[in-house]
Amino acid sequence: MVLSLRDVSLSLQGNAGMVDILHSISLEVARGDTLGLVGPSGSGKSSLLMLMGGLEKATGGEVMALGNDLTEMDEDQLARFRRSHMGVVFQSFHLIPTMTALENVATPLELAGVVDAFDRAQAELQAVGLGHRTDHYPAQLSGGEQQRVALARAAAPRPDILLADEPTGNLDQATGEAIMDLLFGLRDRYGATLVLVTHSTELAARCDRTIRLVDGRLDTETVNAKAAE
Amino acid sequence: MNWLRQAATIARRELRGGLSGFRVFLACLALGVAAIAAVGSVRVSITDGLAREGSVILGGDAELQFHYRRASDEERAVLEGLGSVSEILDFRSMAATGDGPDADRALTQVKAVDDLYPLVGRVELSPDIPLSDALADNGIVAHPVLMDRLGMAIGDALYLGTKRFTLRAALTREPDAGGAGFGLGPRTLVSLAALDGSGLVSEGSLFEAQYRIDMGDVSDEVLDATEVQVGTAFADAGARWRDRRNAAPQVERFVDRIGSFLVLVGLAGLAVGGVGVSAAVRSYLERKTGVIATLKTLGAEGRVIFAAYMMQIGVLAVLGIAIGLALGAAIPLAIGPLIKAQLPVPVALGVHLGPLLEAALYGALTALVFTLWPLARTEQVRAASLFRDVSGAVRIWPRKRYIAALTLAVVVLIASSAILSGIPTLALYSAGGIIVALALLIGAAWGVRRLSRALAGTRAVRGHPALRLALGSVGGPGGEATAVVLSLGLGLTVLAAVGQIDANMRAAIDRDLPEIAPSYFFVDIQPDQLPVFLDRVENDPAVSRVDTAPMLGGVVRSIAGKPASEIDHWVTRGDRRISFADTPGEGTRVVEGEFWPEGYTGPPQISFAREEAQELGIKLGDEIVMNVLGRDITGTVTNFREVDFSSGGIGFVIIFNTAALQGAPHTWLSTVYAEESAEAAILRDVAGDAPNITAIRVRDAIALVTEVLGALAAATSWGAGATLLTGFIVLIGAAAAGERSRTFEASVLKTLGATRATILTSFAIRSALLGAAAGTVAIIGGALAGWGILTFVMEAPFTFEWRSALAIVLGGSLATLLAGLAFAWRPLAARPAGVLRAQD
Ligand SMILES: Nc1ncnc2c1ncn2[C@@H]1O[C@H](COP(=O)(O)OP(=O)(O)OP(=O)(O)O)[C@@H](O)[C@H]1O
Ligand SMILES: [Mg+2]
Repeated sequence: MVLSLRDVSLSLQGNAGMVDILHSISLEVARGDTLGLVGPSGSGKSSLLMLMGGLEKATGGEVMALGNDLTEMDEDQLARFRRSHMGVVFQSFHLIPTMTALENVATPLELAGVVDAFDRAQAELQAVGLGHRTDHYPAQLSGGEQQRVALARAAAPRPDILLADEPTGNLDQATGEAIMDLLFGLRDRYGATLVLVTHSTELAARCDRTIRLVDGRLDTETVNAKAAE
Repeated sequence: MNWLRQAATIARRELRGGLSGFRVFLACLALGVAAIAAVGSVRVSITDGLAREGSVILGGDAELQFHYRRASDEERAVLEGLGSVSEILDFRSMAATGDGPDADRALTQVKAVDDLYPLVGRVELSPDIPLSDALADNGIVAHPVLMDRLGMAIGDALYLGTKRFTLRAALTREPDAGGAGFGLGPRTLVSLAALDGSGLVSEGSLFEAQYRIDMGDVSDEVLDATEVQVGTAFADAGARWRDRRNAAPQVERFVDRIGSFLVLVGLAGLAVGGVGVSAAVRSYLERKTGVIATLKTLGAEGRVIFAAYMMQIGVLAVLGIAIGLALGAAIPLAIGPLIKAQLPVPVALGVHLGPLLEAALYGALTALVFTLWPLARTEQVRAASLFRDVSGAVRIWPRKRYIAALTLAVVVLIASSAILSGIPTLALYSAGGIIVALALLIGAAWGVRRLSRALAGTRAVRGHPALRLALGSVGGPGGEATAVVLSLGLGLTVLAAVGQIDANMRAAIDRDLPEIAPSYFFVDIQPDQLPVFLDRVENDPAVSRVDTAPMLGGVVRSIAGKPASEIDHWVTRGDRRISFADTPGEGTRVVEGEFWPEGYTGPPQISFAREEAQELGIKLGDEIVMNVLGRDITGTVTNFREVDFSSGGIGFVIIFNTAALQGAPHTWLSTVYAEESAEAAILRDVAGDAPNITAIRVRDAIALVTEVLGALAAATSWGAGATLLTGFIVLIGAAAAGERSRTFEASVLKTLGATRATILTSFAIRSALLGAAAGTVAIIGGALAGWGILTFVMEAPFTFEWRSALAIVLGGSLATLLAGLAFAWRPLAARPAGVLRAQD
């Protein structure tokens, strides 16, 4: 199993005491699998994704990624682990505002010690249709363009696991589809495992499985017959 | 005025959010205002004390002072007509523990007083006996420092010259000490009657006779009238008139000088604070861009928005200034006893309105100058910024009327500091210096940002994400880097300038003087004592050089027909020691004209020091009238000499030909250059042969100068310290303001696989870059300012002091680094999800 969560729960300090956000969630994702996370707003989809990426520490339970227990690792070990195995696309992109698009994409490659980081970053931006915007700062890009840069950044190091929070949320139909093709292409070509949070039924339908969250609990799991074909 | 009401409503609602974002703003403004208010309050306390206690410090309502002679009976009669008169003779002498060759000797400033002394105020002695009892039967009282120096106890014998006195008490308080200025030796008091026949004060020796007058309860008008009356009566006497209104001119000048200088340092501090104020307002308004854009979408006009935010900043500025004033008024009261102990004059500590108003004015103007620009830009925020992040992308100039207002505020600020400080030239130079420094720093900030951006894009940086992140965050969008460079740079520049001045003055004293200065100045050598004296010193193998010159006291009365009272120069002020000679003397260079031939007996001729002659506008052939011991003598300037007063040797501005003055009573002055080990023996022998000769040890005199300069340096470093503190607060403010960005960057980088070490490296590089930019400007700016002040204000040579500059700049960079790292702690520790979620 690439990802396996056992009895995971998450509570955060809110304004009025602890807020339980996720309750005993257990699930597994196999290599090359694509998992869609759906559910109403505030149900805990993004939180679950953060846990999978080791960006958040679970309050209870166990999060295993590629055989490593993420809950046992410190910040630096997590960083090094992500460097070589994980890409994350955030709901609000989180590009570094003081770096150009190209530099943003090149950074994880450089951190991983890739020699031709900039050439690969350039190619990656080309792939998301932004070859002409490489020298722009995030503030000079539209929302959809920023999202595509974020995707290129996450995909550039060819991660084993790609976690994406609403990767097509801000895009028009055509671009959205192009991005989806790109994502699934990563799986097809490199065997990457995808976990996608989405409100789009179309995107969810292309995933092998979809899990529906309600109030921080697993509600239903759907195996998508069409995708499995 | 409906729009103003709207603005006020908005302002009130916005201020409900609390003051947490404005700590740096308040601290910067309050600190600057407090420093200026405190300095001003202390200064006014002293000058007020001087004014209120003027007659005590002077020792009477008025005083007429003669140089080197006592008043004649007719002159005395004129003074008696004004009120009761008390006579005092003031001179230097050697105090000795015995009259033998083994006695210990020390220089003392003697005051011989009559029965009426002190006319005003009270002398305090320990033990507490009446002064008349203490001085009766050749009694003497001495300052504790002198007793200490000579190891004396009450009841011991104390010699002045050959005259034996009995030490009766320690002089613990001399009411009129402040009027005398800074003397070289500690004070002793004896009675005038005891001087008769002592040989201590004779014709030709250097003493001052002071006649203090108690005129009863007189008004200032009467004093003015008296001054005119006395002026006519003593027009030709070469005497100086003072009344209680300028009792302690030297102390007053000293305090004024230091005070004004410190106000200037305070203004520099306020400018540093201004940078912090500006940065705080800028970041506040940047955070409010969304609110402003929303308000515009809802129909608010630009002027409403401007007024709304102006009101908020105004309220905060008033609060900051109020805190500063409270501090500034309280500090002098708290450290009052310390100041009182340091000064020979009474200090009227209390809350003084004037300096507080002055500080408030500076504070308000500074706040205005530094906030108007960012405030004016609120008008330019467009509703579109809601849909697109345009912060930092567009840099539009504010509207013309704001630029005009800003210019006006700057002009008023500079003008008021020039007028109120009382040293307009220095104030203007300082203002110019601050503006130049700010311009340099803005340039440096711009340069380091451009350079960083350019470097970030080069191939060399590829593969080093920590370095590129640092370069990017310096050079990329967002104005944080500029604020850091400005605040740190300005603070460091002020500190570097002070450091340069301080180091140069110290170096000048330490290095130059002792090497070439003589060991002793011997004064009051009577003509008949000269052969014995020369025999002793010239045949001593430890003595390398002996210079002698005759000396008389004189007063310049007119130059080329222009009365001395109309010429403002130190040469024409008060008594001047002059000499006579037949030859220019060894090592003297006559640079213009001809020195009179040896044995010349024609009409009196004068040789004048070149530099002073130039300053006074004297040309060859000009006639100078001098009053020498009550007699007017007219000489013609026939040549100019190069005189170096800094070497510590003999140097006279005015030298007559020998025949012109030879007949007048005079004494000899001698400088003796000897090895330090031989100094004590020379003093013992010379004083043993001729007890009336006064020896001034140059090392002691230098120590005194060093002490005065040390006090100046200490005061200055306090001022610079306040500036640095402000700079540090601004720095911390900038670091704190950057913490959000740092936290965000750290979280994203962690997500992308960066370790904490990598992130920390990046932050350190960033701090180092900004510190280097600020430091470079500080070195250049500090050197320029130091050079300017030393060359034009202190008229001393300037050498660049590397060590001081480097220490200050390295210290500053280290401070930036530490502040940056202190604020990196939270970003590094933060868990990415918590940060990145909050940004959603
Ligand atoms: N720092 C926090 N402290 C307390 N509660 C939080 C915190 N952050 C998020 N929450 C709560 O946790 C719940 C889950 O949030 P999460 O972002 O995971 O939802 P989501 O399913 O991704 O919603 P959406 O579809 O709107 O993005 C929400 O109810 C939110 O209010
Ligand atoms: Mg979400």
